[in-house]
Amino acid sequence: MLDRRLITNFDWTLIGLVLLISAIGVLNIYSASASYKVIGAPYALKQCYWILTGLVLIVIVCSVDYHLLEDVAYWFYGVVLALLVVVLVAGKTSMGATRWLHLGFINIQPSEPMKIVIIMAFARFFAGFPVLRKLTIRDILYPLLLLGGPALLIMKQPDLGTAILVILVASSMMLYVGVRWTALVSVFLTALPVFYLGWQRYLRDYQKARILNFLDPERDPLGSGYHIIQSEIAVGSGGLSGKGFLHGTQTQLRFLPEQHTDFAFSVFSEEWGFIGCLVMLCLYFFLILWGLQIAGRCNDRFGSLMAVGVTAMLFWHMVINVGMVIGLFPVVGVPLPFFSYGGTSMVTSMVGVGILLNVSMRRFMF
Amino acid sequence: MKDGKEKWARVRIRLIGGLFAFFFAITSARAFYLQVINKEQLIKLADKQHQKIVPLTPVRGAIYDRNSAELAVSIDMDSCYAEPRNMENIREAAARLAPVLGIARETLEKKLTGSRHFVWLQRRITPDIVKKIKDLEIEGVGFVKESKRFYPHSEMASHVIGFTGVDPEGLEGIELKYDATILGNTGYLVTERDALGRDIALKGTVVKSASRGHNVTLTLDKNIQYIAEKELAKAVESCGAKGGIALVMEPESGKVLAMANYPGFNPNSYFRYQPGLLRNRSIADSFEPGSTFKVFLVAAALEERAVTPRDGFNCENGSYSIGGRTIHDTHKYGHLSVAEVLKYSSNIGAAKIGSRLGQDRLYGYLKKFGFGEKSGIDLPGEAGGHLRDKSQWFGVDLATISFGQGVSSTSIQLAAAISAVANGGLLMKPFVVETITDENGNALQQFSPQARQRVISPETASIVAKMMEGVTVEGGTGAAAAVEGYRVAGKTGTAQKVDPVTRGYSVDKRTASFIGFVPADKPRLTILVVIDEPKTSPYGGVVAAPAFGAIALQSLCYLKVPPGKSERTKHEKNVVKAVEPSEMAAEGTIDEGTEGGVMPDFRGMSMRHVLRSMEKKGLNVKLIGSGRAVEQNPQPGRKIGASDRVWVKFAPAA
Repeated sequence: MLDRRLITNFDWTLIGLVLLISAIGVLNIYSASASYKVIGAPYALKQCYWILTGLVLIVIVCSVDYHLLEDVAYWFYGVVLALLVVVLVAGKTSMGATRWLHLGFINIQPSEPMKIVIIMAFARFFAGFPVLRKLTIRDILYPLLLLGGPALLIMKQPDLGTAILVILVASSMMLYVGVRWTALVSVFLTALPVFYLGWQRYLRDYQKARILNFLDPERDPLGSGYHIIQSEIAVGSGGLSGKGFLHGTQTQLRFLPEQHTDFAFSVFSEEWGFIGCLVMLCLYFFLILWGLQIAGRCNDRFGSLMAVGVTAMLFWHMVINVGMVIGLFPVVGVPLPFFSYGGTSMVTSMVGVGILLNVSMRRFMF
Repeated sequence: MKDGKEKWARVRIRLIGGLFAFFFAITSARAFYLQVINKEQLIKLADKQHQKIVPLTPVRGAIYDRNSAELAVSIDMDSCYAEPRNMENIREAAARLAPVLGIARETLEKKLTGSRHFVWLQRRITPDIVKKIKDLEIEGVGFVKESKRFYPHSEMASHVIGFTGVDPEGLEGIELKYDATILGNTGYLVTERDALGRDIALKGTVVKSASRGHNVTLTLDKNIQYIAEKELAKAVESCGAKGGIALVMEPESGKVLAMANYPGFNPNSYFRYQPGLLRNRSIADSFEPGSTFKVFLVAAALEERAVTPRDGFNCENGSYSIGGRTIHDTHKYGHLSVAEVLKYSSNIGAAKIGSRLGQDRLYGYLKKFGFGEKSGIDLPGEAGGHLRDKSQWFGVDLATISFGQGVSSTSIQLAAAISAVANGGLLMKPFVVETITDENGNALQQFSPQARQRVISPETASIVAKMMEGVTVEGGTGAAAAVEGYRVAGKTGTAQKVDPVTRGYSVDKRTASFIGFVPADKPRLTILVVIDEPKTSPYGGVVAAPAFGAIALQSLCYLKVPPGKSERTKHEKNVVKAVEPSEMAAEGTIDEGTEGGVMPDFRGMSMRHVLRSMEKKGLNVKLIGSGRAVEQNPQPGRKIGASDRVWVKFAPAA
């Protein structure tokens, strides 16, 4: 299936960019965990293993023509949705949330593959749509149902960050296809009471607190506001040029919460300053533009939609995570792709990159 | 259709790209705000979180004598601390450190296992122990430089300089009085700590914002201080006394050049001495001045013209009843002039002068001389002495106060008052700090002499000074204070001490003193010597006067004050009984065998005498050298020819 043309068309820029960001991420994790007393392999090394795992996944994803995915998209969606239901019933509960499925030899978090399969399902749905026609309220009824199910299930876990992410990714794809103003307004009008209800009935206290604390971090400086304040202090005290690798006081003295995972970028900003921060943001922006370019160059609608979806997924992860680190958004547990420590995030992001590469190298095929 | 489709897709992608770019812009702007605009505040917050601050001993400025010799300095020493949270094995560390530090292992272990994150192990330790601790190589043990006060001359001027506590606040003397000036800013040892409050020795510790205090330069002169202390010690020991005080002052300015108390103490280990020994008795203790007071009585009486130098007093052969009490003199005197009342220290004469002056005027002058109130010297703990208000003087009081009984004064008050006689009648405020300088030696504050008030006229002062000279010549009570080659004005004092038990005068305890100035005609130094409870003899002229003479001679030599014009000749000694001494004596000698045109015998005469007699004869003589005439040309009795070269050679007295 991998003929010579595919190799020549392989998108080395994209994979290079991803590996560059990942490598910086590993160094950063090394610094972030330098003050830890870890038993077993250190975080930076484990992250390298995850990157290698990700690369293997990329090869696997690339080896299958993405056109084949169009046929199985709904099946995949169905399976993952079913897993989400199983999680609710028989999931493993840790730290007040039920997100994991215990499958004996491996633990999986069905909300992660949902990020990918919702993209596939939406791409499948809109691929059949006539182009040049904006979506009406009737047109988006089915997609909203496709989205609503998993979104509510994930929120129920509860995992606000992932739920928001899934909604944002799907919305971005609809925006790409084109939505009428009337449709947007009606969705907004229906969403308001739903949000109200959700706030009252579904959101947990800690989730409400996170949102309220985002609006006013000083509300609870030692509780959930602590994350935002500490992160802002770390980032801000880095100044223009930073405190230097391994020299971030807030990091090395562990004032930062979850500094090798969700707040990894905070560590980076403290040690490399505004200049480093800007370089990193530019790398991500370049990655996003590259993804959009892949979508633009793709000749078939399913591929283009998938590329937009994956790009949107990477983008929203990045914006929400960085926004949280620098106090733009509330603290929701969203990792920074390729940068935060963690296997789950790495696998999802790498599979996404695999899809992008797949679309990119098969752009001339029909 | 395909073109339209592609164009549509491109537009939509640009739309999404634009939305994404917008979010990137917001994110970058926020990062810019935090890391560039709001940086300072956040850095401060970060520092506050991760820094732990331990105050260090401030560095005190130095204290110098007037020639910039160091009297008190701060030296850097290592202080050793431990950060128990960084120690691997506290038990083991304590066991290894304990013998080096000389602390019990249990105590040390307890100190280290407490809740504190920072523990001083030992502050300001000697280099050899520092090395021993460093050799142990124990993790979590660190060193920081701290200053320690050191007094390089040990006992010297210890009562003036004072000393400091551990913190190091000034506890006595200049160290206390000028504490705010000398004390530097408190520095801080900044260590880093993590979110759990553990101290982290990441990049070592830093010292911040410590600054040295200002330096103080005293009016004291190390050499004169040494002389005073040495001679005082000799005097006190030779007469088996309890203690003593010696003061040397500049009468013109009020600068204190030496202030010695015996016994002294070593300020480097002041805590080993009894608290009483640390007191600067020359300003803190008052005593009955006794006969030295007669100087002020005579000065007041002369100034008020209650008596004249020519007046004489019947001294009643040593026993005189007044106001129901009998006053005694040590020797029996008949008729004495005012000068002789001073010279022989007659109590009866003084009482009679006092009664001529009256209590209002005597009281007024004593106040003007500064008695009964603090001298205002810039040292802590000064006492004011005691001078009863004149409304409280009854019966015999006027008489006894006239010779220094029933009043009390500190040594510094007496020295200041005598200085007023020496300098022509101005009471100066005594002071010990001349300049305050910063770290780089720039003067921040300069103290100039301050006159408190005029007490007597210069004329009166010079008459009194001359009378005081009579005390130190042969026959005077203070002849032992005489200094070869210089004219000395002085007065002895011998007072009974008040017995604290009986509240009456003690039978055997005396305060012997001698106070005066040199050279008498142009005073450079006021010197006071007080001997407390001498055993061998109670008289100031016996126990205190020799110390006075020794201090005066050595100090004058040190200050290179040229010897006077050989006043201390045999002639002079004879003249003292007459009121006008030197002139008469001189003329007497010169008149002998002097005829016109014949060269007189100048040998042995002072330069002043030679000049005077030459003036008489209209001779033009070349004078060579200084001191006493030893050689002359032409030889005595020879005729002086018009063309003869006439010269007299002088040599300093041996």
